[in-house]
Amino acid sequence: MEFLAEHQLYIVMIIVVGIWLGLFAYLFRLEGRIRKLEKETDRES
Amino acid sequence: MLLRGTLGVLLTLVIVAAFVPPIVSQPQSWYEFPLIPGLEEKARIIFFHVPTAWLSVMAFVTSMFYGIRYLRKRDMMDDLRSSSAAGLGLLFCILATVTGAIWAKFNWGSFWNWDPRETSIFVLLLIYGAYFSLRSAVEVEEKRATLSSVYSIIAAVTVPFFIFIMPRIMTGLHPGAKGDPDGAGPVIDFKMSLNMRVVFFASLIAFTLLFIWMFNLRVRAARLEYRHQLKG
Repeated sequence: MEFLAEHQLYIVMIIVVGIWLGLFAYLFRLEGRIRKLEKETDRES
Repeated sequence: MLLRGTLGVLLTLVIVAAFVPPIVSQPQSWYEFPLIPGLEEKARIIFFHVPTAWLSVMAFVTSMFYGIRYLRKRDMMDDLRSSSAAGLGLLFCILATVTGAIWAKFNWGSFWNWDPRETSIFVLLLIYGAYFSLRSAVEVEEKRATLSSVYSIIAAVTVPFFIFIMPRIMTGLHPGAKGDPDGAGPVIDFKMSLNMRVVFFASLIAFTLLFIWMFNLRVRAARLEYRHQLKG
């Protein structure tokens, strides 16, 4: 914490990484849904 | 393709432009950012945190738009669009809350202070959390679509109040609040220099394009799921 208080640029970096992780998690879940649909479609055809 | 290409280039440029320019007390060159007392290096958060909050507003308004369209046309695709937009809005609302909390830890001393801005975003999270509880509680498709469309309209009406009005008329610590030493008003109007504003608006455009892309993907997946349900 003291390190971060002194080097504030890293706080902004953590924030950007946080946003990226959130977007990544969302896209990861979306891909999971699409994969499930693909599997079901393949099974049917 | 054009959208994704522009997004890729623009977002990369924004990230570089947000981190590279030095922050100095008396900017001499076009690439230097001015020092904002109390914010220093942390001022750079504005290029990322504010666009996430902006996107949540845009997503909630989009959700309302398709909610109204569903009520007029009764097309199930509009309901899927409305709920997809609300889901993205909730995602960006959570991101704005988390990034704000990290910033608050170093600017205000703790992750959560119940500042007017924090309280209002918390209420928004509850309102849109309830939207998804409502959707999962109703089994009949048409009824669920009608109820959640009406709810999305009522919920979106509260958004401007919680995001733009309440935090500005109440005394708070958040930049732009009434207690802000430099006076009330949006932080971008009087504290950001021209070059910061250029990066800020480029970031807003880039995040908006990102939202359009994510929304498009999400709706396409929801449409496939819906068609699949109809078949099975």
